[in-house]
Amino acid sequence: MTKWLRENLWRHITGVIMCLFALFPLYLVVITSFNETGSLKITSFIPTDISFANYRLLFTDERIPYMTWMKNSLVIASFVAVTSVVIGAASAFAFSRLKFKGKRAGIQVLLLIQMFPAILALSAVYVIMERVYTFAPGIGLGTQAGLILIYLGGAMGVNIWLLKGFVDSIPTELDEAAKIDGATAVQTYWLIFIPLAAPVLAVVALLSFIGTFNEFILARLFLVDMESRTVAVGLQQFIGGQFSENWGPFAAGSIIASIPIVIIFLSLQRYIVSGLTAGSVKG
Amino acid sequence: MLTTLIRGKVAFVIKAISLALITAVLVMLTQSAFAQEQYAIALFLAIAIILLNYTYFSKKRVPLKFFLPGILLLTAFVITPILYTVVMSTYNYRTGNYISKEQAIERIKALAVESDANGTAFDIVVGKFRGEFALLASDINNSSYFISTVSDRIPLDPESLEIDEIGVAQSAPDFIPLPPGKVSSSKAASLRFKYEGEYFLTIESLNVGVVLRQTLEYLQPTDQFRSLITGALYSDNGNGNYANVDDREEILEPGWRDPAWFTNFARLVQDERVRTPLFSVFIWTVVFASLTVVTQFAFGLLLALALNKPIRGRRIYRSILVLPYAMPSIMSILIWGGMFNTEFGAINEIIGRQIAWFQDPTFARVAVILVNLWLGFPYFYLVCSGSLQAIPSELLEAAAIDGANPRQVFRRITLPLLLQILSPLLIASFAFNFNNFNLIYLLTGGGPKQQLDGEIAGATDILISYTYQIAFGSNIQDLGLASAISVIIFIIVASISLYGVKRSKVLESFS
Repeated sequence: MTKWLRENLWRHITGVIMCLFALFPLYLVVITSFNETGSLKITSFIPTDISFANYRLLFTDERIPYMTWMKNSLVIASFVAVTSVVIGAASAFAFSRLKFKGKRAGIQVLLLIQMFPAILALSAVYVIMERVYTFAPGIGLGTQAGLILIYLGGAMGVNIWLLKGFVDSIPTELDEAAKIDGATAVQTYWLIFIPLAAPVLAVVALLSFIGTFNEFILARLFLVDMESRTVAVGLQQFIGGQFSENWGPFAAGSIIASIPIVIIFLSLQRYIVSGLTAGSVKG
Repeated sequence: MLTTLIRGKVAFVIKAISLALITAVLVMLTQSAFAQEQYAIALFLAIAIILLNYTYFSKKRVPLKFFLPGILLLTAFVITPILYTVVMSTYNYRTGNYISKEQAIERIKALAVESDANGTAFDIVVGKFRGEFALLASDINNSSYFISTVSDRIPLDPESLEIDEIGVAQSAPDFIPLPPGKVSSSKAASLRFKYEGEYFLTIESLNVGVVLRQTLEYLQPTDQFRSLITGALYSDNGNGNYANVDDREEILEPGWRDPAWFTNFARLVQDERVRTPLFSVFIWTVVFASLTVVTQFAFGLLLALALNKPIRGRRIYRSILVLPYAMPSIMSILIWGGMFNTEFGAINEIIGRQIAWFQDPTFARVAVILVNLWLGFPYFYLVCSGSLQAIPSELLEAAAIDGANPRQVFRRITLPLLLQILSPLLIASFAFNFNNFNLIYLLTGGGPKQQLDGEIAGATDILISYTYQIAFGSNIQDLGLASAISVIIFIIVASISLYGVKRSKVLESFS
């Protein structure tokens, strides 16, 4: 046994085994998506004939507005991501830098409300939106605008908390210098904080985007129309709802829906991980 | 830079215009909310308008400028629902007791009707007679016709009517029929038209009217219902129902939501049918969350250690290993659900057995843990890799010089240090999995369920999915009890997380 083997063999064995574990379900989805029979059964690990029928179905069948679902998901998630970061960043800045009465209590409330099992406040959210619907049908129950409002409220706590952690790590010398030069808090925010924070704002926006894209329960409860559904709710129908156990289109749809998320994630994973553990960007 | 350009007057004009627009929209919403009698929402919107304008036009209140939008959103969609849930936990808010007392009284009155001995019904046309809502009723067997308003019943001469081939009168002098599409939404649908004595005529469907009489009357001064048939009295039983004064078990439906104070919380401890499932679900929740954190951390750490050296192909390993974390988790969970299928699932195919994964409690639990391991180990691999780099190499070298073998170095130095660095993340992960609703709901639905005496707790149900069942399940929905459990979960998770926060000293900067 050479020294190389002794030192490195176990590393490769561990790596390969865990990679197989990680890849197995994903590989299965890929071959299912190219399999015309629509079952998740593996006939052989190397697909014999490749069919694009499932993909074609998604884009041509009129009963399956897949493109609309994708568009809904992307629009809702992007809007929530950008808006919640814009609003959240301002709050985070105030909590981190400005002095005011009740700041400590505010932070504690913020932390506490995040621990409430949000799913269980669902009925209350439902009642509120039902009432909103009676006077403003455009933003009430069953509308995407209403769902976005709820997502924004829900994203607020987490985002303010994450962003505050980051603002804390920006050295105070910078804004003290700006203050001496006569800048107001608002100017400090726009001219010093925002440029410095841009990369982190992007990461937090991205996490909001993924979180919203992944949201299922509220979306299913709120979006009743076939046309207004998000991709997660729409695809779930293939295996749980009216189409029942139709794995082929589900697999194809999942792959298309996952590709943008996976690409964004892989290309930014360095920032995502460091941004969340260390407080990230220096100076 | 854009911000430096738009200062002073230009900035003020932009601010004023956007505020004016927002205010206009909000005022409009407030008005329509008020018109629809949604006073709480109208009040909230009005306060929001005042706060917005005051904050952004005042030179003071600088901090409020920054967090007002966030606070308004949080208040509307997070804090209010939480408070509502807490309040609901003290109410008997469940199937049969959803509405307010006033609504319940109206419903009881509306439901307390019975048809006469023959079940008399007429073919009708709904319309207006001399400006009043009226029914044009036809008794086709006896060829007798009349018009009935709320106060009067007017017999008609068949000669004056337009009668169709089956003998139903379609129009009469001074009678203007309502368009059929308008009937169910018009006030006429709930009116009681004059018939005979205590009997009245009401609209059953578009063309049919039935003869009914009231069986219960509400006695305002004593807040009681009296049966007009038997004379029995029903009074408020203090529990959200009217109950017969002689037989308290006999209650009128529906009931109303009524403050029950701590009854819901007491049921958690006292009611055998609530306590037993709740206890076993709680134990499994703790076991599930602990096992998840331990397995995810162990595999993540193993990988981080294995790939901590620049071996060949490390980048490829890394890219593949984070894939489970990068995939939208909903899709992954659903796919795993299919893989565990007994007949055509890939797992049974590979191990060559016919295991009914989701029908057996033990197998179902193993499956849940395994899937969660797949979902979560990449996260711990990433954070462990990062933290391993943060451990000073001098420490490890010094230990090696002192004669420690690699195993000892790991057990005595690396692991304790890692645990210390990562303890906030481990606690956060525990708290997250304690409430990991999506996984359980989408993978097993909480099953397999015990079918004994209607109990709804499944073997893989965790507290939050169990509570969801209680609140929104298909059997009896008990929001009051569910809210009480939510409050308990909240206290547990908050304690765990606050402990974690204290350890990581996040709040130190505020003291």
